[in-house]
Amino acid sequence: MVQYTLKPDMNFVQDLQEAGGNNLKRCFQCATCSVACPLAPTNAPYPRKEMVWASWGLKDRLMRDADLWLCHNCGNCSDLCPRGARPADMMAAARDMIYKDLTTFSVVGKWMSKASGLPWLFLVPAVIWFVIWAIRAVCKGSWFPRAADGRIVFGEIFYGDYTIDPIFIITFFGACFILYRGARKLWEMFKPEGELLVVGKQKFWICYLVSVLMDEVVTHRKFDDCEDGPVTGKVVPNRKFGHAALVYSFTILAFVTAVVALGHWGGKIIPTIEIQTPMPLTFPIKILANIGALLLLCGLGALTWRRLSLSRSNHASGFYDWYLLGILWLVAATGILSQYFRLADALQPAFVLYYFHLVFVWMLFAYLPWSKLGHFVYRTAALVYVRMYGRS
Amino acid sequence: MAGKIGVYFDVQNIGGSLDIEALAAQTSEKWGDLVPMVKTCPVLACALDEIKVDITSQKLDGVLLCGASSRADVCRLPVQVEYVNLREQCVLSYKNPDGSPPDYAAGAPEALAIMARDYVNMGVVKLQKSEMPNPAAVIGVERILVIGGGISGLTAAVEAAAMGYEVVLVEKSGQLGGAAVNIPVASPFGSNWTDKQAINLNMKISAVTGHPQITVYLNAQMEKLGGQPGEFKASVATMQGSVSVDVGAVVLTTGWKALDDKYLAPMGLGKIPLVVSAAQFGKMMLAGSVSARRIAFVLDTTLAEDAVREAAQHAVGPDKFGGADATAEEAGDKFVKEDLENIRHLAYSNAVNSVGILRLANSVCEQTNDATQAYILYKNMTVPGILERFYKTMQDRPGVMMTKADVTAIRESGGHVVVECRNTLLGMDFDLDVDMVVLPTGMVPTTAKDAVVQFDYRQGPDFPDLQLVDGFVDSNYICFPYETRRTGVYAAGCVRQPMTMDSCEEDARGAVLKAAQCVEAASHGVAVHPRSGDMSRPVFNFVRCTQCKRCTEECPFGALDDDEKGTPKLNPARCRRCGICFGACPERVISFANYNIDQIGSMIREVFVPRDFKKEGPRVLILACENDAYPALDMAGMRGNTWNPYARIIPVRCLGSVNAIWVSDAMSKGFDGIMLLGCKYGADYQCHFVKGSEICARRKENIVETLNRLGVQPERVEQLEVAIDEYDNIPDLIDGFVNRIIEMGPNPFKGM
Repeated sequence: MVQYTLKPDMNFVQDLQEAGGNNLKRCFQCATCSVACPLAPTNAPYPRKEMVWASWGLKDRLMRDADLWLCHNCGNCSDLCPRGARPADMMAAARDMIYKDLTTFSVVGKWMSKASGLPWLFLVPAVIWFVIWAIRAVCKGSWFPRAADGRIVFGEIFYGDYTIDPIFIITFFGACFILYRGARKLWEMFKPEGELLVVGKQKFWICYLVSVLMDEVVTHRKFDDCEDGPVTGKVVPNRKFGHAALVYSFTILAFVTAVVALGHWGGKIIPTIEIQTPMPLTFPIKILANIGALLLLCGLGALTWRRLSLSRSNHASGFYDWYLLGILWLVAATGILSQYFRLADALQPAFVLYYFHLVFVWMLFAYLPWSKLGHFVYRTAALVYVRMYGRS
Repeated sequence: MAGKIGVYFDVQNIGGSLDIEALAAQTSEKWGDLVPMVKTCPVLACALDEIKVDITSQKLDGVLLCGASSRADVCRLPVQVEYVNLREQCVLSYKNPDGSPPDYAAGAPEALAIMARDYVNMGVVKLQKSEMPNPAAVIGVERILVIGGGISGLTAAVEAAAMGYEVVLVEKSGQLGGAAVNIPVASPFGSNWTDKQAINLNMKISAVTGHPQITVYLNAQMEKLGGQPGEFKASVATMQGSVSVDVGAVVLTTGWKALDDKYLAPMGLGKIPLVVSAAQFGKMMLAGSVSARRIAFVLDTTLAEDAVREAAQHAVGPDKFGGADATAEEAGDKFVKEDLENIRHLAYSNAVNSVGILRLANSVCEQTNDATQAYILYKNMTVPGILERFYKTMQDRPGVMMTKADVTAIRESGGHVVVECRNTLLGMDFDLDVDMVVLPTGMVPTTAKDAVVQFDYRQGPDFPDLQLVDGFVDSNYICFPYETRRTGVYAAGCVRQPMTMDSCEEDARGAVLKAAQCVEAASHGVAVHPRSGDMSRPVFNFVRCTQCKRCTEECPFGALDDDEKGTPKLNPARCRRCGICFGACPERVISFANYNIDQIGSMIREVFVPRDFKKEGPRVLILACENDAYPALDMAGMRGNTWNPYARIIPVRCLGSVNAIWVSDAMSKGFDGIMLLGCKYGADYQCHFVKGSEICARRKENIVETLNRLGVQPERVEQLEVAIDEYDNIPDLIDGFVNRIIEMGPNPFKGM
């Protein structure tokens, strides 16, 4: 009988090992990990099978495995692995390889995969915003101009209508488009070879998306499930609060940004809804924005503290992890400090920090599809897929 | 013959449920002058000095200690000592005949008092019929013969020399080193057990050849091994002719031979040039001639095993996989070695192959800077003990890929080989395209192919019963490693069991220790094992011997040679003192000073057997093997298991020592049933003396015939198996038997 001929890819094994799964060869398939995992289903549970695929260099199998995304990376498996094979890190490494290779502009993926790409990533927005600053400085006749009434107004240099908004709108929708393509590609990869026959009533995918959001994202239910897993002796805080704080702060900040954008651009048509920036501190939207920023700091603090207190021998933290935490810290810090200096009327620090704030915010959004933050789309896609079709 | 016996009751150990004073009085009254001294001691252990004084003042020549089991306390006294087990097998295990727990408030139950009295009387008689044994010492030549010069043999030689023994090392080939010659780097020999290790064979060899106390004969074979431990006479065929040498003990390290390629032909060996065995692959690696970059190491040998099974089912004419052709009939009296090589040797070698193949797979990846893909397809990855650490290291290489798999076909396909794998850990069935396939090597012990020692024994030049164990000579893996069926010959290394080199070294050390112990024991005239230190030995009353040869043939250890007429000749240092010879003797000419036919017969006759079966109950005799059954009974008693009080237990050295006359004795005395309680026998035997319980079962058939002739139901004699850890089954075994006897009714000879 002719059957499938296996083609192990040794380079893939090496890539995975370099991406953080360096202990994957130690696995001897005892399946302690699959038993330890509170999320793994009883049928073909992960990550035991992923470990053997990784060891055999079965790139195709691993990359199209929806189970990679069902894992929420609590690390119970790595804590209990008798061989120190660190399955959680291998799963994370495999996801990192998807961030790297899934979508076009593979050069960004490459830069995003290790620290040596960081200067390039930084340089792109740094140059863009510097050029804008320089042009405006020439127009205004000063690098640090004050508004007519003597206040510090960032719009004097980084004028919304013609600089910030168009660049961010292009960046945002560009990132959205790339994410969409990535999610579509992943979706196709999840589908098994051959025909997919769905028995029973099938709802539109949006319904499944809503149920994922309501059931899992809003509640952060899976994080508690992870926590309820077997006793590992690990003394690190539940990730739920830190992660939820971040998710909610992002939601708030996205809402604030949308309102401000609406107020600004809509105000040009309907003057009554116009919002002037900078907003006074007592303005409800501003209050909400500052609450969001505080929440962001709390969440970031919690998650960073947790990651720092993980045992190095059981849980490696890779570049993807530190990049995301780092960029969020930088965005938050520069944002809050620039506001602080603005209010404190420190002209030059306020502008310099605002400039860096713009650079980091742009990095966060523009590189999102290749960064770990992409998981909010890819994992959601996988969760929706599994709800819709089940696991293959 | 003890003529003056002191009887001491150990009150502390017996407890208050017996009327000890009455028992003591009864003993004095019954035995009169034979027991001039009967005492009750509050604590026996504190009374030893007092007993020693009694021995001198009363000129006692025997002491009977009534209390705990002989297994619990050992008292060293200058005269013969016997124990009456009133604690475990009498008081603690007592229940009323109706099965109810005893009520001691109303005094000792009558059945318990009768039982205790029986046991004490039996003890007195046992001592009366017992003599101080007289050990038969031999010279104890302090020279050890090592047969085979591989890793095990080299280690054994150096170890024995380090202990001060002279060593004679006999190697069949022209060079030392054995199989290790082709394995310069092996699995680890010691801590920290993680990585491959150079074996430094040349160092090991020069340590042997350069040692003044070690004589090496190359190109030499055993011609003959006669005599007995302590004074073996070995004759070695060397290039210069036959050499005779006296040795005290022998360490057998003749190693293994590779299983014939024909067994692995169903997996392509010998048919597809790209399929090689692990041993061949090792040699190719040494020669640097491995160019394959995709290599499948197939540890699942189901294909080969199935082929053998199928061939056996469809066998027409001579079996393709069969051993040597049966030419024994033509050969007449001349010994013909049966070839015991078979497919099972492949499975026995699985652990060694698992470790070896991990090493080879890792090495080939290492040598090619990870440009090689080594697929290990196993059914059972067996890595013994601490070699788990080695496994971890070997596995941790990108090119080493492992999965459990059923390998269903290996076929050639245009310059490469396709390996079909099913039921894999990868969750799918698949084919592997490879440039080379490496198969495990079956390790066949040399003893399966040849009579390597060439014993000059009455029972033949080879170890007995090797066909039962596929040619491995180790006779008792768990209890007595290294021990073979020939006392004084200790097997070590792969001839005993396929093993890795570190185990071979450890094994060799162990076997040398046994050899040293054996020489010492022989020079003191005592048994080496399992009855270590036993000074007794079988003594023959040749006047009545009819030269029937039963003893010489049945001795599991070949201890008895004979002359032309068939008169047995004992080699005491070969003997393990089990008594199987005297169990065999129809004329009862064999006895031990402290264990003999008359003694046990007299004990049986000493039991009080009531005439009224209905009112006073039956009597059941239990002859219990003292190696497993007796301790199991003790443990049962200690754990509060109780059994019918109509049973009377007599320990025997081995069920093989049970002589049919004891059955007649018991039947004529009026016993209603006899239970032979001993070890498991058959393929997974647990008998200390290997054949004892099996021989007993065989002899029982003759007993059944006799009973039938006498008109006694043969079911009255039953042999039951018990393992030492089955103490919780003991009450069921005994009560079940007693109940069957009660249903049968009284022995027709009762009261005659």
